[in-house]
Amino acid sequence: MKKKRTFTEWIRSRDGQQVLVMFAFMVIPLLLLFIFTYLPFAKMFGFSFYNMKYVGVRKFVGLKNYIKVFQRDDCFGALKLSLYYMLGSIVQLALALYLATILSFKVKGGNLFKGFMFFPFLINGIAIGFIFKFFYTRGFVFDTVLQWCGFNLENLPYWLKDQRINNFSLVGTSIWRYFGQNMVLFIGAIMSVDSELYEAAMLDGANRFQQFKYIIMPSIKTIITLNVILSITGSLSAFEPPYVITDGANGTGTYFVVMHEIAHTQQKVGLASAMAIVLLIIIFIATILQKLFFKYVFRSAEDEDPRAGARRQKMLERSIRNQERIAARGGK
Amino acid sequence: MNRKKALALLTATAMMATSMGCGAAEETAESGETQSTQEEKQDSTESTQEASKAPETEETTGLSYTTLNLDDYKDFTASIKFLHHKTDREADGTIASMIAEFNKEFPNITVTTEAVTDYAEDSLLRLSTGDWGDIMFIPAVDKTDLATYFMPLDTLDNLSQELNFVDNWQFDNVCYGIPYMANAQGVLYNKKVFKEAGIEVLPQTPDEFIEDLKLVKEKTDAIPLYTNYAAGWTMGAWDAYVGIVSNGDNTYLNQKIVHTAEPFSDPGDGTGAYNLYKILYDACSEGLIEDDYTTTDWEGCKGMLNRGEIATMVLGSWAYAQMQEAGDTPEDVGYMPFPMSVNGTQYVNAGGDYNYAINVNSSEENKTASLVFVKWMVEKSNWCYNEGGYTVVKGGQNPDMYSAFDGCEVLSDQPAVAGEETYLNDMNAESELSINAGGNAKVQRIVEAGANGSESFDDIMTDWNAVWQAAQEELGIEVKY
Repeated sequence: MKKKRTFTEWIRSRDGQQVLVMFAFMVIPLLLLFIFTYLPFAKMFGFSFYNMKYVGVRKFVGLKNYIKVFQRDDCFGALKLSLYYMLGSIVQLALALYLATILSFKVKGGNLFKGFMFFPFLINGIAIGFIFKFFYTRGFVFDTVLQWCGFNLENLPYWLKDQRINNFSLVGTSIWRYFGQNMVLFIGAIMSVDSELYEAAMLDGANRFQQFKYIIMPSIKTIITLNVILSITGSLSAFEPPYVITDGANGTGTYFVVMHEIAHTQQKVGLASAMAIVLLIIIFIATILQKLFFKYVFRSAEDEDPRAGARRQKMLERSIRNQERIAARGGK
Repeated sequence: MNRKKALALLTATAMMATSMGCGAAEETAESGETQSTQEEKQDSTESTQEASKAPETEETTGLSYTTLNLDDYKDFTASIKFLHHKTDREADGTIASMIAEFNKEFPNITVTTEAVTDYAEDSLLRLSTGDWGDIMFIPAVDKTDLATYFMPLDTLDNLSQELNFVDNWQFDNVCYGIPYMANAQGVLYNKKVFKEAGIEVLPQTPDEFIEDLKLVKEKTDAIPLYTNYAAGWTMGAWDAYVGIVSNGDNTYLNQKIVHTAEPFSDPGDGTGAYNLYKILYDACSEGLIEDDYTTTDWEGCKGMLNRGEIATMVLGSWAYAQMQEAGDTPEDVGYMPFPMSVNGTQYVNAGGDYNYAINVNSSEENKTASLVFVKWMVEKSNWCYNEGGYTVVKGGQNPDMYSAFDGCEVLSDQPAVAGEETYLNDMNAESELSINAGGNAKVQRIVEAGANGSESFDDIMTDWNAVWQAAQEELGIEVKY
């Protein structure tokens, strides 16, 4: 027979205390999340339907801003630049994975290298922009280093002026900054792999590459997937390198830089908000596509594994049976 | 599991609902506010039209710049805050020493200051929150909104008898801002380099200027024209020569350009915006600019001009003092009128820099103290002269740098026609050319096209004319010229 409890009794009970504590802990982060993320977002979503500046009268224009986003050349033209950054993020992840694998084995001065390579991530993005502005300046750091290597200054391109390569120069800065962080994440994941597996593999005669392919890769695929998704979506919203180094000029204005220009210089806040919403949708789509892609890739690998195991099992059983048969014959 | 999911969904929807609710509620409140202010404004315009003799300022606060006598406020007590953009002057103590000087006369008025680095953008955001203090420099607001944010300082008629360049922020004949200094638009050059290149007479037309730049390239090691492309805003500085400098018409920029069908067409006589930007295009296409324009360095260029590594830079007079300070040969830094002549006369555009304005929502005491401070700053601080500015006070002393401007016609842009005050801002935003309002990207495009040969100059101008006309159509602005 269940006794009916009053609210005060319930709140004092174990169940009530659990709920209370849960609520007390949740309310602050949720409130912060709401105030600084969802509320501004909802506001921005509202702005995207208005023709407005920061100050002054607002005029409701419905979907006109969204139509403009799709009509303007500069909005979607800027998205093409994201391809450079996506390409860069693949190079960045490959490099990070390679170095992480090497550094996760015993290397002399490994921690020192880890520190050096992680260091750029700790520097402020704006400072990095200024560093690379001088780095790429004609006859400055990069050209000087290349001249030491035997290059002639006349044969070197203008790293930021030449529109064929300036986006690659900018992507280079982004790789330099983020590969260390990716590497540390990878190292962390690789550390969690059971070291007995390496020993076993070594006894079986597996070389380093085979260890990487059959032990490390499958063990850290979750973290690889995560990094790829973050890098690809990040490259859609690249902002700091082009904004600080070239001010988005000379054909380096990414979607974010164009958005910033429209929002702050032209003060078309509504249009910029619509651009932000469109970008959000694009990022959603890109993320979902990647999720589906990885699901497909890894599932097919998983599907194959158990069958392969079963096959091996069968072979083993057959060979044991054969041996038994042989032994039985020999015993005759 | 299911219950948790349901709970999460519930909180999420609740949050969405509240957020939407908030948004909607505030929106209506804001639009209501703007409506009411508009009505007020209509009322006020009607009343001023009816009784144009009585200045509006006296009706509302009783304070006005011209009638305020500084000596009456020696013992006035208040604490005010001044928001400004001169971070360099805040850092080197100039502002603090001026305030110390001010406090000798007005010991009980405490002035705190805040310098904002990215002023043009940040100040607008601060303005929209209302939390910025008592005095600020007016950012790019619409003239119809002036009364919403700022206290009327005086009528245009009264103020323009004592001060220059006060018509920048006037609406319905009431002034809301007073410039802290004024700039004349010319070209910075290095005297020594010009002498080495054999240039004795300063250029007066675009053709002469390009010839001189070629001479500099041939005979000296200096960069003939430094574009300062990478800094961005330094490119937008070219827009300052549209109007008076390029066609001698002081009503052009604020009144006529919005009604002009093709402001970027070639008038055929070496004047106009077309020939102004063509100087830059030609200099770029003939290799008369720095080798790698994408890595120009604003801080570094000051010393380079001072030392004679750069021959010319197209910037307002405010930059002159900085160029002099940047090296050991300040005497080599010169300033000349822009090389463009309209019917044989060189025109100079002089106009106010940022304008002081006072918060309309401050307390009466703070408004009074702020006006005292502004009046003192304008008339007694000498800030304008020290910055190398063209004098704001009528009959005030001009710095020596303007000696090359003798014989030029000095004009300042006339305000927009009543009822059309917002047209230029609207057109700038709609066409995204942002003439004189941060339109850096469009001028950078000229440099890129000139240097790479990717676009012809006429194509760019045709394009600008097209977006200008599209904006006129969109906004329903009549084409008259």
